[in-house]
Amino acid sequence: MYQYSEFDRSFVNQRVAHYRDQTQRYLDGKLSDDEFLQLRLRNGLYIQRLAPMLRVAVPYGTLSSKQLRALAAISRDYDRGYGHLSTRQNMQFNWPALEDVPDILQALADVDMHAIQTSGSCIRNVTTDQFAGAAADETIDPRPFCELLRQWSTSHPEFEWLPRKFKIAVTGAAQDRAAIGVHDIGMRIYGDDEHPEDALIDIYAGGGLGRTPVLGALIREKLPAKDLLTYTEALMRVYNRYGRRDNKYKARIKILVRAMTPEGFKAQVDAEWEHIKDSPSTVPAAELHRLRDFFRPPAFAQQTDVSTLLADLRLTHRDFDRWIQHNVTPHRADGYAVVTLSTKSIGVPPGDVSSEQIDAVANWADQYSYSEIRISHEQNFVLPHVAKANLFELWQQATAVGLGSFNMGLLSDMICCPGGDYCSLANAKSLPVAEAIQRRFADYDFQFDLGDIDLNISGCMNACGHHHVGHIGILGVDKKGQEFYQISLGGHAGHSGEAPKLGQIVGPSVARAEVCDVIEKILHVYIAQRFDGESFLGCFNRIGIDPFKESIYASAA
Amino acid sequence: MPQLLRNVEQNWQIIDEADTHWLAEDDWRAGEPLQVGVDSEPDRKWLDASAIAVDFPALTDGRGLSLAALLRTRLYYTGDLVARGNVHEDIVHFLARSGFNVIELPEGKDLNTALKWVSPHTEYYQASVANPKPLFAAKN
Repeated sequence: MYQYSEFDRSFVNQRVAHYRDQTQRYLDGKLSDDEFLQLRLRNGLYIQRLAPMLRVAVPYGTLSSKQLRALAAISRDYDRGYGHLSTRQNMQFNWPALEDVPDILQALADVDMHAIQTSGSCIRNVTTDQFAGAAADETIDPRPFCELLRQWSTSHPEFEWLPRKFKIAVTGAAQDRAAIGVHDIGMRIYGDDEHPEDALIDIYAGGGLGRTPVLGALIREKLPAKDLLTYTEALMRVYNRYGRRDNKYKARIKILVRAMTPEGFKAQVDAEWEHIKDSPSTVPAAELHRLRDFFRPPAFAQQTDVSTLLADLRLTHRDFDRWIQHNVTPHRADGYAVVTLSTKSIGVPPGDVSSEQIDAVANWADQYSYSEIRISHEQNFVLPHVAKANLFELWQQATAVGLGSFNMGLLSDMICCPGGDYCSLANAKSLPVAEAIQRRFADYDFQFDLGDIDLNISGCMNACGHHHVGHIGILGVDKKGQEFYQISLGGHAGHSGEAPKLGQIVGPSVARAEVCDVIEKILHVYIAQRFDGESFLGCFNRIGIDPFKESIYASAA
Repeated sequence: MPQLLRNVEQNWQIIDEADTHWLAEDDWRAGEPLQVGVDSEPDRKWLDASAIAVDFPALTDGRGLSLAALLRTRLYYTGDLVARGNVHEDIVHFLARSGFNVIELPEGKDLNTALKWVSPHTEYYQASVANPKPLFAAKN
C-alpha cells in the first residue's frame, strides 16, 4: 500500500487547519451559505435531506486495517454506528454534525486519510479495479498510476474550479472492473509491473452516465507513461476553458467532447499538449518505480495444497460451496484467493455496514489478508490476499456477522444509490425498491439458476446507482409528484471484456408497487427464451427488447 | 481605495495603491491597463499593456486560472497580472499559484483573511506557475 510521507501528512493536516477556519468563519456568519457550500463540498461535506453527509476518500478503494478501524470509530463517535460504501469506492457517513466535521477530518488525517475533493466541481477520487494487484487477469497494477494522479490532482492550482465534477477511472486488467468507459477520463494501461516506465496508456474521454449517458471516446492510444500528467494537464485545460458553465446539465466533459466531436476535441488537446509535453511534469522512470514499490505484493507464504480439504468442505457445507463459487475470485499467487464480502442482505440498504461489521473486516484483514482491504464499486468489501486454507474459517466468521452472503454478481448483489430516503437530489426512493426486489427473489436457487445479473437502481437521472449500465436498470422518476420507475435492459459496464453498453428503455415507467412484477416478467422471458447456459445479457442481445416489452405491457395494451 | 494584496519578492502583503482605470479590450490601446474576461483568448498584443486584469465572474469560475497560466507560460507575460471581480479569500492561493501577482478583493471581503490563507500549504504536489517543478522533481 501507499505509505504517507511527512509531506503528505503535513499537507492533509494543513488542509484540516484551513477547513477548520472556514467552518468557524461560517458559524460566525462571516461566510455566506453559498460561499461555504463551495468550500465544504471540496472537503467532502454535503447537506442532505435529513442531515449533512460526509464522503471520505478511499483512494482507488484501498485501505489498511488501521484506517478501517478509524472509520469504524468515526461511525461510532460521530454517526449512528454505521457507514455506507459508495459506488465510487468511498465511504460515506450520513449523520455527522457540521461543527464536528473539522474534528472528523483530523481523525482521518491521523490515519493518513482525508475527504479532499470528494465532491464539488473538481477532480474526484480516482477509482480502479477493486482486485488490483491481486487479480489473475491483470498485467500491470494500476494503483501506482492512480496515486500519481491523486497527488497531481490534489489542490491543483488550475483545476479545482471546473465546469462540473470530474471522475477518472484506471484499469490494468483484461476485464474492466473499473468501468472506464463511463468516466470523464478512462485509462487502460498496458505493460508490466517490472517496467512501469515502459507502460502505454489508452485514454478515453467524455464518458459518463447522468441524464445524458455516453461512452467515452478513445482520444489517445498508447500514451507513454512518462507523459501521463502533461497529457492529462492538456486535456483538463481544454475542458476547464471550453466546457459549458451556463447550464449545469450540459457542463460535463461529455457534452464538450460531443460538441467538438471526439476528433475535434482530440486535436485541441494535442495542440495544447505540444506546448507542455516535455515540461518538468514529465514523470521520471525513478518516480514510477518509487510509486510501484509501494504496491509490491506481500511476501506470500508457501501454501500447502488444500484442494482436497476444500472439496470436502464444499460437499458438506452447501452454503460454503456457493460462497466459494460466487464470492471467491482467482488470485495470481498460488494458494491464495480474493474474497468479496457482500454487504447485500435482505433488509439492509446495499453498501450499509455497521461499526461492528467494519471492525470485524479490519480484524479479518489483519488475520487473513496482510492487513489490506478494498472497497468495490459494487459496494462490497474485498479481502485481496486470503490463503485458501483460511477460507472456511473466514466464511464462518463473515456469515456470523451478516457479511457472508454468497450473492456476488447475482440479482441480489445490486448497486443502489441512497435515493430519496437521504439524498436531496433524488426524484424517488431507491432503497425500498431494492429491498422489495431482494425479498421477492430471496430464493437463492432461483438466483443461481438466473446466473450473473447486474441490477442497478438510481433514484434520479444523476445515475449514482449506474442504472444505465445494469443488465437491468431501474431509474426513479417524478411524475406529477408521484414516484415512478423507468426500466432499462441490456446495459453493461464492460465487465465481460467487451466495450461497455448503455441499456435500452423498455417502455413507460411504472409505479413502485409494480416494479417487482415487472422484474419478474423480465426474468421469466429470459428463462423461457434462453438457450442452455446462455446468460441474461447474451439472451437479451440475441432476442432483443421486444419480447420483454410484450410481456410487460401486454395486459395494459 | 481598492483592497489589494501584492506579491513583493515572494512575500504577499497588503498594499495601498490608487484605483486603476481598467479598459476593456475594445477601448484599450498599448501602454494602458487592460482588463479581460475569463473567456478571452490570450493575445500577443496584450504584452503591450501596462498591466492586465482578469475579471472573475464567480468564485467558482476557474477559467481565469488557466488564462493566467497561459499568459505567464505561453506568452511569457511578466508585468502585473491582477485578479479582480468575484474573488474570494479562500481561493487566493489558487490565484497566487496560477500566476497572479496582484489580487483585488471586492468590497465586503477581508484582506487579512485572504493574506492568512494565501499560502495554506508549505509545498504542493504538482508544478504551478509559481513553482514549475513538481514535488517528484525534488525526490528523484
